[in-house]
Amino acid sequence: MLQVKNVSKIYEGKVAYRALTDINLEVEKGEFVGVMGPSGSGKTTLLNLIATIDEPTTGTVSIEGNNPYQLSRNDLAKFRRRSLGFVFQDFNLLNTLTVKENIVLPLTLDGKRVKEMEEKAEAIAETLGISSIMNKRTYEISGGQAQRAAIARAMIHKPKLLLADEPTGNLDSKASKDVMEMLVTLNQQEKATMLLVTHDPQAASYCDRIIFIRDGKFYSEIHQGDNRKAFFQKIIDTLSFLGGDDHDFSSVRD
Amino acid sequence: MTFRQFVIKNVIRNKRLYVAYFLSSMFTVMVFFTFAMFAFHPAFGDGDINSKALFGMSVAGGIIYVFSFFFVLYSMGSFLQSRKKEFGLLMMQGMSMRQIRFMVFLENMFIGVFATVIGIGIGTLFAKFILMIAENVLVIDETLYFYFPLWAIVVTFVSFILLFLVISFFVTFILRSKKLVSLIKADQQPKTEPKASIILTIIAALLLAAGYITAILVKGAMVVVVMVPVIIVVTIGTYFLFTQLSVYMINFLKKRKRLFWKKTNMILLSDLSFRMKDNARTFFMVAIISTVAFSAIGTLFGFQTYLTGGMKEANPYTFTYSEYSDQTNDDQMKQDIETVNQLLEQRKIKTKQATIEMQYFTTGKDEQTFIASESMYNDFANLLGKKTIHLERNEMIGVEHSSAIMGGYADDEFIDQPVQLENGEELKLKEVIDGVVLPELFAHYVVSDEAYEQLPDPVRSESYTAWKAAQGQDDAIIEVSEMLMDELNESPPFNFQANDYTVYTINKVYGPILFIGLFIGIVFFVSAGSFLYFRLFTDLDEDKAKFTAIAKMGLTDKELKKVITRQTAILFFAPIVVALVHGAVALTALSHFFDYNLVKESSMVLGGFFVIQVVYFLIVRFVYIKQVKNAI
Repeated sequence: MLQVKNVSKIYEGKVAYRALTDINLEVEKGEFVGVMGPSGSGKTTLLNLIATIDEPTTGTVSIEGNNPYQLSRNDLAKFRRRSLGFVFQDFNLLNTLTVKENIVLPLTLDGKRVKEMEEKAEAIAETLGISSIMNKRTYEISGGQAQRAAIARAMIHKPKLLLADEPTGNLDSKASKDVMEMLVTLNQQEKATMLLVTHDPQAASYCDRIIFIRDGKFYSEIHQGDNRKAFFQKIIDTLSFLGGDDHDFSSVRD
Repeated sequence: MTFRQFVIKNVIRNKRLYVAYFLSSMFTVMVFFTFAMFAFHPAFGDGDINSKALFGMSVAGGIIYVFSFFFVLYSMGSFLQSRKKEFGLLMMQGMSMRQIRFMVFLENMFIGVFATVIGIGIGTLFAKFILMIAENVLVIDETLYFYFPLWAIVVTFVSFILLFLVISFFVTFILRSKKLVSLIKADQQPKTEPKASIILTIIAALLLAAGYITAILVKGAMVVVVMVPVIIVVTIGTYFLFTQLSVYMINFLKKRKRLFWKKTNMILLSDLSFRMKDNARTFFMVAIISTVAFSAIGTLFGFQTYLTGGMKEANPYTFTYSEYSDQTNDDQMKQDIETVNQLLEQRKIKTKQATIEMQYFTTGKDEQTFIASESMYNDFANLLGKKTIHLERNEMIGVEHSSAIMGGYADDEFIDQPVQLENGEELKLKEVIDGVVLPELFAHYVVSDEAYEQLPDPVRSESYTAWKAAQGQDDAIIEVSEMLMDELNESPPFNFQANDYTVYTINKVYGPILFIGLFIGIVFFVSAGSFLYFRLFTDLDEDKAKFTAIAKMGLTDKELKKVITRQTAILFFAPIVVALVHGAVALTALSHFFDYNLVKESSMVLGGFFVIQVVYFLIVRFVYIKQVKNAI
């Protein structure tokens, strides 16, 4: 469903900076994929390319066989609104709106009927367990609740692809666990395709598969087996290789 | 890097942040300087211009100065508001409150000195241009030549350095020490949703309605009596209008999900309601200041038209020569008319001339009515280039003045008064027309030439001669008028009038007042615009963050523009529309006071301001959208 082919990104400027080099990535429908790597490895750049917020210098990104970069600015905005959902580290909820209003915002922008919006909002709030805070303002709720509200907002229009950028970055471990479990639930119930960028091995262990990148290059890829504990250990191991400067390690997939 | 160097660098390398504050300060300096340059002009030193005008100018200068003080203070206040986070950051680095105060003081002085110097500089550059405008508006005989305005520079410099010094002290005083945390998190702290009280909302509506109705209904001298109460009531009403009624209305709209949840309405309305608390005060201030500007300029402009326009309407001729009564000395009259014609010929002024023997007849009860013949009317109509008339033998036309200055005299009974010929035949009234052709202010008739012959004997008869000069000889006419007024007005019962000259004299006296009024009005209006600019750009960072978030979710450029346009439009037009309505009501009351129709003048002034506001809005909107788009 998502194909990233030979994508490179170079930021022009006084000193040209190569953020990504020859990245290939393929995500199947209904898959839950994590992207990990140290700071500055190009994770967020990759996510922005897929989110169509940024454009690759070379290579192609296609979502369900379509190349979104061929769309005009306006159509791109509409594409994002209808086909993608976003979850951010800092929630990005509008503090002038209530939780419910925040959740229906994507539908509102698309000019849906009020009744339909209400129903969808109630349904998704039920799934995410935030029905009780729907009329609260954003500063009246906890971080975990805010992130769940943000997830509800990202999912309410049933996007083809949900992109989450460090969704647990601002949360304590309990809230992180809740949020990740919610994402897994949505992944399984709604068959939503998800791409998660994270630092947090605990959060990453909920994924089906994890791609590691370093210095803008593909590093390795690991799959979840039957056991999440073992998968977590595998992530820790890979990260410890990844973090080192030693290039003598052979990559895991070999 | 010393502390002072740090402060100066902080300003210079942060230009964008300071530019709005700098520009508005500079603008006030420029205005004051222009005014000073004008007041200190050597041409006024000769005492040729009357001392009252000069006094008026000093008062106006004082008003501008006081206003500048509050304006700069306000600008500084809102500028500091937007910098809380920066102060928090500095305090975290270990800066003491004392040092922050000192920094703000230095910054303010630095900007103040620069604004003063550059304001004076630009003012000097435009000096010639402004003097030229002034010359035309003021009707001054001497040319206001360009001079090096040393005194104006000194006075402006000293006044404003003093002003900035006082304000700098003042501001450091305002800067209360707050908790570091609340400073750093200044931009994250939730604003509470404003609440509207229904009682106050109703009071707002009632106060405004009461004020308006009183202002519109009251006539004549009562206007002065009710003026102060009405102003107070409307001012309070306006305050509640923005703080209560607006919040109430927005909340009402927000409850309508169909409307609120429709596309970008949600972003727009929710923001509006949260900014309303901040906005309300700005709105109120802008509305009141603009109302003052509109009313002041409207009043002055209207009053001028009332004086000059009314006169020209009542007497459209260049010169008139008339006698008061029947006991005339015909030789004297002929001689005087000859004098006028000789002088006109000598000065090569092209004029047309017509003379009429004005005969008054008894009509109806005891009233004396002026009746003219068709050819008399047509003679004068030709003189003015107006439409001539043609009448059948038994027809007549009534002439009335609907023009406002004569407003009181148009009477309905007019129609009922029959005109009888000597043989008892009554003339049929064909129509009643409007306008000044014949030199008679009261309602009168025009009959056909044949019928005129057959009218009974007149009660009294006066001779009247009018000259109408061709266009474009203004200077020569004024010159001749001056000479003729001296020569001919010594011989009553004759009366010589040079209407253009009278209007010229009024303009000359009135010019400085109008100029000062315009000046102050424009200063007020422009500063109202600056208030709006500050209000809008205080929210810029917040808006940038908000729109960045929404844009990621998918917001087309068109939608972005739509939201920002509406948001800005409300900010710009809500207070101005209120001010326009206030102004319109005030000018209506004024026209009732004068009993003179000011609709044309009022709409010109108010319309002019509205157009300026629209232009200003378009520019600001363009800049704002560009800024937000760049941030996304």
